[in-house]
Amino acid sequence: MSAIGLRFPLLKSRHVLPGFSLSLGFTLFYLTSLVLIPLLALMIRPLALGFDGFWAAISTPRVLAALRLSFGTAFAAAIIDSVFGFIIAWVLVRYRFPGKGLLDAVIDLPFALPTAVAGIALSTLYAPNGWIGSLLVPYGIRIAYTPWGVLVAMTFIGLPFTVRTLQPVLSELGLDIEEVAATLGATRVQTIGRVVLPMLMPAILTGAAMAFARGVGEYGSIIFIAGNIPAVSEIAPLLIVTKLEQYDYAGAAAIGVVMLAASFVMLLALNGLQSWAAKRR
Amino acid sequence: MSLTVDSVSKKFGRFPALNGASFVAPQGGFISLLGPSGSGKTTLLRILGGLEFADSGSVRFADLNWLDMPARTRNAGFVFQQYALFKHMTVADNIAFGLRVRPRNKRPSNSDIQHRVKELLDLVQLPGLDKRYPSQLSGGQRQRVAVARALAIEPRMLLLDEPFGALDAKVRKELRADLRRIHDHAGVTTVFVTHDQEEAFAVADLVAVLKDGRIEQYGAPADVRRNPKTAFVSEFLAT
Amino acid sequence: MRATFKRPTDDPVWLKVLLGTLAFGFIAILLLLPLALVFKEAFAHGLLAFWAAITEPDSLSSVWLSLTVAAIAVPLNTVFGIAAAWSIAKFDFTGKTFLVTLIDLPFSVSPVVSGLIYVLVFGAQGWFGRDLMDHNIHILFALPGMVLATIFVTFPFVARELIPLMVDQGRDEEEAAATLGASGLGTFLRVTLPNIKWGLLYGILLCNARALGEFGAVSVVSGHIRGVTNTMPLHVELLYNNYDYVGAFSVAALLAMLGLITLTLKSLLEWRYADELAAAHRH
Repeated sequence: MSAIGLRFPLLKSRHVLPGFSLSLGFTLFYLTSLVLIPLLALMIRPLALGFDGFWAAISTPRVLAALRLSFGTAFAAAIIDSVFGFIIAWVLVRYRFPGKGLLDAVIDLPFALPTAVAGIALSTLYAPNGWIGSLLVPYGIRIAYTPWGVLVAMTFIGLPFTVRTLQPVLSELGLDIEEVAATLGATRVQTIGRVVLPMLMPAILTGAAMAFARGVGEYGSIIFIAGNIPAVSEIAPLLIVTKLEQYDYAGAAAIGVVMLAASFVMLLALNGLQSWAAKRR
Repeated sequence: MSLTVDSVSKKFGRFPALNGASFVAPQGGFISLLGPSGSGKTTLLRILGGLEFADSGSVRFADLNWLDMPARTRNAGFVFQQYALFKHMTVADNIAFGLRVRPRNKRPSNSDIQHRVKELLDLVQLPGLDKRYPSQLSGGQRQRVAVARALAIEPRMLLLDEPFGALDAKVRKELRADLRRIHDHAGVTTVFVTHDQEEAFAVADLVAVLKDGRIEQYGAPADVRRNPKTAFVSEFLAT
Repeated sequence: MRATFKRPTDDPVWLKVLLGTLAFGFIAILLLLPLALVFKEAFAHGLLAFWAAITEPDSLSSVWLSLTVAAIAVPLNTVFGIAAAWSIAKFDFTGKTFLVTLIDLPFSVSPVVSGLIYVLVFGAQGWFGRDLMDHNIHILFALPGMVLATIFVTFPFVARELIPLMVDQGRDEEEAAATLGASGLGTFLRVTLPNIKWGLLYGILLCNARALGEFGAVSVVSGHIRGVTNTMPLHVELLYNNYDYVGAFSVAALLAMLGLITLTLKSLLEWRYADELAAAHRH
C-alpha cells in the first residue's frame, strides 16, 4: 500500500468494530431462507390459478363468509377491547389500590397462555353447560358454537394489546393539562372526554389495530369455541387448514395471500399511525 | 519516530468534516487540536484512533502506515469524552482490560496485572479505589480511570477527546496538570482535542488550530499567540 | 363541617367505583375465569387422575416433543437475535428500517399462514415435495417441519428485545474495547453481553414460552399422529376432541402453569431491571 493511501469508495467495507459481515450475513441468510423464500412460495402458488382462478377461489360464498366472519368479528372485538382497555389502563395508571401489581400482571395472561389452552377453557366456559353459558341459556343466549363465541375469544386475546399500548402513553401524559382544564371549570368527566381522550387517540387506535390484526389471524383460541360450521361460524384460518387437508394447496394459498395482504395493509396503517402520533407530540 | 499526518480528508455524507489536514509532531510531543465545534478536530482524532476511516490522505507513525491498521492493533490509547468505562466492571477490571484481552503468549501474569493496575491507580492519584464501580465515582475520578485504562496497554500514542469537557473549572485545572505530568512521565506522544484555548495553551507543546476541516495554524503556543496567521486564528484566540 | 381537600385531577368517588368495577369485572370474567376453569377441570377427579393423565405415555411423548422443538428453536433464534441486533446497533448501513420491519413480520402473520408457507415449500405438492419423497426425507409431518414452523413464529422475540436495547446503549464501550486491543468475540463476551444480559434473558423467556405454546403453525405442519407428532398443545386438542376432558385439561394445566411461571418471571425481570430492559416503550 502506498503512502498516499487513497480509498476507493466502492471498497468501503471496513468497519471500526468487528463482525459486520458475519452478523449481517447470518441475519440475512436466516431471514431469507426461513422467511422470505417460504413467503415467496405463498405468493407464487395462487398464480398457478391465473387471475380468474384466483378470484373464483376467494369469492365462493364459503370463503367470503369466512373472511367476513374473521375480519368483522375482529373489528368488533377490537372496539370492545379499546373501550375496556382504556378503562383498565386508566384504573391501573391513575388509581392506587392494593394488589395493583397483580392486576397489572394478569393483563398479560392471554399472551402467556398457550392458545389451545385458552381455546378449550373458553369453549368449556361458554358452552350451554358451562359456568357462564348455563347462566345465559334461560335467556336464549348461546355463545359457544356461534359467532358470539368467536367474538368472546377474539376479545380475550386482544385485550393485552389495547391496555399495554395505552399504559405508557397515559402515564407520560402528566396531570398538567387536566389541571388546566379543571381551573377552566371542567368537571372530571368533561376533562376526560374532551381533553384526555383526544390526546390518547393515536395510542388507542394503535392498540385497536394491533388487537384487530391479532384477531383476524388467530386460530387456537377460536376453533374450540366457534361452531366451525361453514359459512356460519367458520373463521378464515380454519378454512385454510380445511383446504390443505383436501390438498387444495392453491385454494389455501389464495386465502393466505388475502390474509397476508390484509396484514401488510395493517402494518402500513400502524406505521402511519405511529408517525402521526410522533408528529403530534 | 514522529507522527506525520498528510492531507487527511473525510466526508460524512456530503458534509466535509476534514479537508486536507496535515501536521507533523515529534515523538513524545504533546499536541492539542483546538477549534470550534464542527471544525473537524474530533474527526481527526478518531481517525488517528481507528474509530473512523479517512477518505484520503495518510498517516505515518513509528514507521507504520497508520491508516491501514485496525484500531485493535494500533495500540493507541483512547480516552472518550463520556469516558466509556465498562459500567459492569470494577475500576481495577476496567484498567486491566487491555492486558487481559491480549493473546495468551503476550499476556502478563495475574500478579503482574494486579501490580500494574496498582501502579496506574497511584499514577492517576486514585489509590485504593480499585474495587469501586464507575457509578460510584465522581466525574473527575471516572476521567482518571479512563486515562489509567488507556495507559495500561503501554500505548504508542495517547488520544483524548475533550477529556475535561464535562467537569467543573477547578477539577479541569487539576486534571490537566495531572495529564501533563503523566505525559512527561510516560513519554508517550499525546494528542488531545479541546475547544478551550486556555486549556490548549496551558498544557500543549504544539497547538493546531482547526477551522472547517483544515489546520489554519500549527506551532508552539507562544508563536501562535504572537503571530496569528489568519483572521480566524486571531479572532478565535481573542475570545 | 370541613370539606376534605380533593385535588382537581382526582376522579369523583362514583366514577372511581364505576370504572373500578368495570375494570375488575371485565378482567375477572374474561381472563381469570377461564384460567380457574382449567385447573378446576384438571383436578376434577382428584390429584391422582391428574397425575395419571399427564404421565400417560402419549402425554409424556407430547411433553418430550414440545421440549425438543423448543430446545432447537430457541437457541437458534437467540443466535439470530444477537446477530441481528449486533449488525443493526453497531454498524451503519442502508436498509436498516426494512430489515427491522422484516424481523417484525411474523407478528403480523396468522399462525396458520406461518405453517401454510412451509407446506407450500415442503409438502407433497410443494416445491421440494417430490425431491424429498424420492430421498425419503420427511420434513413435514415430522420434527423438522415443526421446528421450522416454530422458528418462524418465535424468531422476532429475542431480536426485538435486543435491538432497541443495544441501539440505546451505543457503541462507545465496544469502541473503547477495540482501542484496547480486544477481538470481536472478546468484545462481545466481555463488554456487550454483560450489558444486555437481562434483555437477552427476557427475550429468551418470551421466545421459549411461545415456542412451547404455539398451536396454529405447528398444527398445520404436524401429522397429528398421536404419540408421535403431537406437541403438548396439539395433544390437548386431540384429547379434547375425543371427549377426554380430564386428560385435555390436565395437559392444559401443565401448559397453564408454564404460562404463569413465564408471567411471574417476566414481571420480576420488568420490575427489577426496568432500566436494562428494552429502551423503547413496548408491551
